[in-house]
Amino acid sequence: MLLEVRGAAVNYGKVSAIREISMNVPDGGIVTIIGGNGAGKTTTLRAISGLEPLTAGKIHFAGERIDGLAPDRIVARGIAHVPEGRRIFPELTVEENLRTGAFLRRDQASVEADLETTYLRFPRLSERRRQMAKTMSGGEQQMLAIGRALMARPKLLLMDEPSMGLAPIIVEEIAGIIEEISQDGVPVVLVEQNAELALGLADYAYVFETGSLAMEGPSRELHDNDHVRAAYLGI
Amino acid sequence: MMVELLAQTGLNAIYAASYISLIAVGLVLIFGVMGVINFAHGELYMAGAYAVVALYADLGFPFLVAIAAGLVFVGMLGLAMERALFRPLRDNPLGGLVASIGFLMVLQALAVMGFGVRMEHVPPVTQEVIVFSDKVRLAVPRLYVILAALVLLSALWLFLKKTRFGWALRASAQDPEAAALQGISITQTARIAMFIGAGLAGIAGALTAPLVSVNPHMGHSVIVTAFIVIIVGGVGSLEGAVVASVAYAFVHTFVTTFWDGVIADIVGLSLMLVVLIVRPTGLFGTADRA
Repeated sequence: MLLEVRGAAVNYGKVSAIREISMNVPDGGIVTIIGGNGAGKTTTLRAISGLEPLTAGKIHFAGERIDGLAPDRIVARGIAHVPEGRRIFPELTVEENLRTGAFLRRDQASVEADLETTYLRFPRLSERRRQMAKTMSGGEQQMLAIGRALMARPKLLLMDEPSMGLAPIIVEEIAGIIEEISQDGVPVVLVEQNAELALGLADYAYVFETGSLAMEGPSRELHDNDHVRAAYLGI
Repeated sequence: MMVELLAQTGLNAIYAASYISLIAVGLVLIFGVMGVINFAHGELYMAGAYAVVALYADLGFPFLVAIAAGLVFVGMLGLAMERALFRPLRDNPLGGLVASIGFLMVLQALAVMGFGVRMEHVPPVTQEVIVFSDKVRLAVPRLYVILAALVLLSALWLFLKKTRFGWALRASAQDPEAAALQGISITQTARIAMFIGAGLAGIAGALTAPLVSVNPHMGHSVIVTAFIVIIVGGVGSLEGAVVASVAYAFVHTFVTTFWDGVIADIVGLSLMLVVLIVRPTGLFGTADRA
């Protein structure tokens, strides 16, 4: 397994956000975490990235323990994170945003090459490379956030609600991009409230409810599960 | 001659704008990257002035050596503040502010213990004066301050816009958590901001030491000016700090020359109030950063 989470717990003050979370991410494909508001999906991703300290449990990445490391050290190990709400740098240009994604890389020539690849993948970012990031639409900002994360050449990509607040046609475009990234060999952990979308994309799924793991299994099986259908797919 | 008086007052204003902007830009940089208001910034300026008192006036080192030592010494004080005060209080901006007030008192007390409360006399570096006309003159030590401000602020601008660590600093000022997710160490950017911010205050103090009365409480007046300037410019905006420094220096210097210094202080504060009423985020501030 590329990423192993074992019995992870995070508390916000005295309130427990997640408890007894265990999950595996193989070196390839898409794993999704679905669940409602406050289920602990975002907290789990933030814990993997080192933004929230664990109060119990362990996280291993590529065989090495990473919980307790500072976020920038975890990026250095190869985990990139597209955060909830995109969190692009509003007053940096599009190109500067992309370059911050490659902050830790020393291979200047291949950073330039990756920048061109990113512009080919997202032509609209190419048109706007000298523009302040805050002047772009929500969909463009999401693409910038994804492009920025890929500039790190990650071994694992965490994505938190990439479909949030976007028009259906843009959501479809983003879904296509996520599939592409996975096919290019970068494993993805996708957190989504849009369960239909997530189960359609992912190979394996975890269902979170109020901070705990409620269910897990291959996406296709969960898609046909009565509880999942009633609670998350509205069927 | 009226024209000559205006020209001379203009030169004085440019000099004032130069050292005010060095101090204000450092204050803004520290606030932007670390989210704390450094109340001890005026005392960092004072520490820079005392570096010149100790090395140049007392021990007889060359002025340039004293300036460079002042920059490095005050920059190191900044690093010490980051490590001892602001890093443990990272999630507590108010705590950082209170700690910086405490540090201000410590620095003042150290200056009193080391040098006494009397004003220090720093011999002039040079007596040279550039004479434009009979009544329009610029003392060369003042020219040094103006040149230093131009060079240092341009260098800072290039650093922030053109270098990898410059982007990192701007990114962590805009969103520290998102910056950490790009592999940028928040501790590292805090150290860089603190060294540069403190160093700029230190060099302002070092350069102006022969031109002002050096005493342990000299930080007070500059910190009040710096606060007015960064509020007018827009808290968090470096460009705003420079523009507001120039505007404040011109208004203050002209009012001082044509009326008097107390009225100039009142006008300066009133301008800040007007800006706050008309544009609460300051001239260059944006709502989400203020």
